[in-house]
Amino acid sequence: MTHFPILAIMAYFLGAFLIVIFGRNRGVRNTLGFLATACPLVLMIALVKPVILSGQTIAYWMGGREPAGGYAIGIALEVDALGLFFGLLIATAVFVAMLYSFSYMSHDDNEPQYYTLFLMLCGGVMGLVLSGDLFNMFIMIEILTFAAVALTAFRNTATGALEAAFKYLVVGSIGSSCILAGTIMLYAQAHTLNFAQLAAFLPGHLNRATVIAYALLFIGFCTKAFLVPFHPLAADAHGAAPAPVSVLISGVLTKSGLYGIIRLSYILFRTMNLGTVQFWLVFLGSVSMFVCVTMALAQHDFKRLLAFHSISQIGYVLTAAGLATALGVSSGLYHAMNHTLFKGLLFLCAGAVLHETGTTDLDRLGGLSKKMPQTTVLFLIGAFSISGVPPFNGFASKWLIYQATYQKAVESGNIGFLFATITALVTSTMTLASFVKVTQSVFFGQLPKEYENVKEVSLGMRLAMGILALLCILTGLFPGFVTTYLTEPAARAALGANSYINAMMGSGYAESFGLADTLPVRFVSAGVWSPISWLCVLMIMLLGVCIVAVASRYDQVSALAASEAVPAPAARYGSGSAAEGKYELFYGGEEAVYSQVGGEDLFWGFKHNWRGYFRFMHELHSGIVNDYALWAVVALALAMLYAMVIL
Amino acid sequence: MILVNYLAAFFLITLGLYCIVTKHDLLKSVIGLSIMDYGVNLLIITVGFNPGGTAPIFSFGELNPSSFFVDPIPQALTLTSIVIGACVTAMSLSLVIRLREMYGTTDTREIRRLRG
Amino acid sequence: MTVILDGLKYLAYILIFPGFLFCFLSGMLLCGIDRKLVARMQKRVGPPILQPFYDFFKLLGKETIVPSAANRTVFLLAPLVGLAAQVVLQLFIPIFSFSAFRGVADVIVILYLLLIPALSVILGAAASGSPYAGVGLSREMVTVLAVELPLVLVLLAVAKTVGNAIGSGLCFSLTDIVRYQVRNGSLITRLSMLPAAAAMLLIIPGETGSHPFDAAEAETEICEGMLAEYSGKPLAVYKLSSAVKLLTMTTLFVALFLGGIGGGIDRVLMGGTAGGSIAFLIEIAVLFLLCALLVAVCVSLVHAVTARLRIEQIFKYYWTVVTGLAALSLVMAWYGL
Repeated sequence: MTHFPILAIMAYFLGAFLIVIFGRNRGVRNTLGFLATACPLVLMIALVKPVILSGQTIAYWMGGREPAGGYAIGIALEVDALGLFFGLLIATAVFVAMLYSFSYMSHDDNEPQYYTLFLMLCGGVMGLVLSGDLFNMFIMIEILTFAAVALTAFRNTATGALEAAFKYLVVGSIGSSCILAGTIMLYAQAHTLNFAQLAAFLPGHLNRATVIAYALLFIGFCTKAFLVPFHPLAADAHGAAPAPVSVLISGVLTKSGLYGIIRLSYILFRTMNLGTVQFWLVFLGSVSMFVCVTMALAQHDFKRLLAFHSISQIGYVLTAAGLATALGVSSGLYHAMNHTLFKGLLFLCAGAVLHETGTTDLDRLGGLSKKMPQTTVLFLIGAFSISGVPPFNGFASKWLIYQATYQKAVESGNIGFLFATITALVTSTMTLASFVKVTQSVFFGQLPKEYENVKEVSLGMRLAMGILALLCILTGLFPGFVTTYLTEPAARAALGANSYINAMMGSGYAESFGLADTLPVRFVSAGVWSPISWLCVLMIMLLGVCIVAVASRYDQVSALAASEAVPAPAARYGSGSAAEGKYELFYGGEEAVYSQVGGEDLFWGFKHNWRGYFRFMHELHSGIVNDYALWAVVALALAMLYAMVIL
Repeated sequence: MILVNYLAAFFLITLGLYCIVTKHDLLKSVIGLSIMDYGVNLLIITVGFNPGGTAPIFSFGELNPSSFFVDPIPQALTLTSIVIGACVTAMSLSLVIRLREMYGTTDTREIRRLRG
Repeated sequence: MTVILDGLKYLAYILIFPGFLFCFLSGMLLCGIDRKLVARMQKRVGPPILQPFYDFFKLLGKETIVPSAANRTVFLLAPLVGLAAQVVLQLFIPIFSFSAFRGVADVIVILYLLLIPALSVILGAAASGSPYAGVGLSREMVTVLAVELPLVLVLLAVAKTVGNAIGSGLCFSLTDIVRYQVRNGSLITRLSMLPAAAAMLLIIPGETGSHPFDAAEAETEICEGMLAEYSGKPLAVYKLSSAVKLLTMTTLFVALFLGGIGGGIDRVLMGGTAGGSIAFLIEIAVLFLLCALLVAVCVSLVHAVTARLRIEQIFKYYWTVVTGLAALSLVMAWYGL
């Protein structure tokens, strides 16, 4: 059992190397890929019992080099409930993405290379969350950044793939260098790279150097989580990468950044007791969720839109994680899990649309629900989940986040946290709005002529999406189960750093540094929500309504040919008009007079009032790599300044 | 003496960042990345350096409490970091080649199809 | 045995009171009262108060047409889901001291459940494939966005006020909010809650899509927008659920701000010989009267004296004036005024 963590990591890397060697044959390649992703999943599930149910922390010393004289010599892996929680998420997402890849990538050339990079990325992330050593973490970050960059540029003939990869590489490297610099500054202070030793040493030694190191590491992990101001990279990378890679980037890679931030702030530095750090995280999270959701409203590419939403949801997680209460951390982790599930589902749906139609442009798609009914249903489940429509999982976690932020506001008497609650609530509705836009533009509405022959995607792809959809529903219906068995133990692990230290360095080690776990671990929620009873009532009601409806022969219908009702636009306005495509019908004679139903303009009434803001944001997201690098540098400078002044 | 090293490391990192932020050429961005990397490497080495220390190469028995040597861990870290830096450079250069083929330029201001 | 009895009790809640039958009757009646009042205010004779019932049954007898561009399942199912969700929502809102399903949903859940009927109509409209419906749904979504922010602030202000009073700091349970008012008097009597109540009064017409916030349906402009393709029974169901929405929003107002009236009724009847059931019937009657009054004030009156706003005006109005009122209330509640 103590070997499980290293086996999980090695399974990915071994799979990657074996595919390089034996991956020519499709059958062998797929079998290897399946095994390499299924094994870690099984191992992670096997670890649930000791780590989460019995509350053990597994410390594994590479090569059996255990600490001597209170000094960690070897490289360690350590699995506590927090690490395992993320490990489980990653293993699940990776497994589903692999299932999806089998049919999705079957038309690409260089398939073996794809799977190799894919598994390298997975191994990097898994290694990161299970690592107990700061430098090891840096290596894993480099591996995953590399694999992610290469995968982003994988379809290098697609528009923007290379460009996105280059931007990501530049800013990602700045982030990685920050992490390296932070690591070495910590080493200079503590003369160790081991997490447990650092965690014991650092809380008592918050001086200028360690604080700067904290800021450096923090910004480094922010680039990995694509938080504002690094969000344009996510949008670019997602837009260009193949769909399963998008699942990895949003569901897995951003989680590694979040995990880093949580590990850093709660366990290594224990700075979460400080109101200023809480403010920092909550502020960053709130800004991320709001800025990205408004950016998403302005997009007219399916995958870019999803990418911005992804970061917006990460903002929720960071906000909740920044509260430093048990309810906050627990709800944040719950949302992180849900984010992996629903975002994965949505990206896979976008991939399915791209696979069948060859485009993700919202202005060109339409009416696909008739051709791809199952994908539509799966997409709707994902869209409802992310928008927080009860009883799907997004609602359960957001509901906890609202309570956590509001409770924090009430308890601390700080009105600032109240804005986080309000931002979260409004962001949620905006998320719904933009998914209404996607639904309307892609799956409903008029079916363009060119997509007459579109078919439903293959069973393998539907299966992968179905697994995620099922998980979305289950985790939404049983929030009590999820909080008790997954997020609460993880939150307890995050808040109780002493047991983490002692598991690695021997009991009593943390106490010898005069450290005590001060943060509360138990929580009570301020509201009530029982999805099952609600669902029962809704089902009875729906059944009743349906019976009445059928009894009165509700669906006795006659179809009306659209062509009779709506004359062809060309016949009406002449084909020479400035308007094109889907919205032709809505152009009057003049170019300027038209109704706002296009992908970008659907919420004109909203955007009109915010036009100044949107223009500003549009200019800001210039697409020039220097600008994004500048943002990174400014963020770094601000973080260091803030750390120097406040901590 | 050691202060010079720190200052140089800081200077190199800043120079690298400056280069990335202000130079509108893909190749110069790559150069900036490399310079920043060298700065960080110098920082690592400097942290582990003890003035007057010997190389940390000992066999069993030779090591005693009075032996004075430089810290070996940062040196190992630097090696890893150099390797990674080389990979970053190689990868970004290959991307630059393909970008140049595709866009016909290496000016970052023109490579911005993805924006907004 | 008790299980069966409980089951029957809950079934009665769901189907008769405060569930389907009650919603149907009082929602339609409120709708009729509204139409009559508007007509009288405009010096018209107006339809009979029972006109919505006639309309409803007439629509049930009409043929249902599904456009060929539509996704049939979603198009037909959306109104049913919307109605079901609307009625379920009604079940969770306590009527003075009575609440059919306590411990199932709190204020935040209510906030989200309010979205489901709107969402189902939007999906139905999207599924119809009509461009008119496209315009309509875009406006509906913007209206929902517009109303959401002030509504959130109102609910948070109420949660904070009641939480302060009962000592836990915040209280999201709607049952607790109403129970507190039954014991200690209505919230509207507090200074800090007055702006919130005013904001809520302005939210009701926006949420129910009545004049002047009905850009989403603007029949003279975009042919009833989202309903453009609906006919026959689905249209009847849709009309019914918008009537129930009128009831839901007004009941929510009563629950949030006027819950104390229930306490008054209890006190008046406590000394007398009146049994529980009579008191309960009186409570329902009072609730209905209050709802009708609210409809008269914030739907009919506003309808009669205003002209339709453009969608961006609606948005601006809600995010400035109404949000300002609600925020004022929240700040006052925060500092314990």
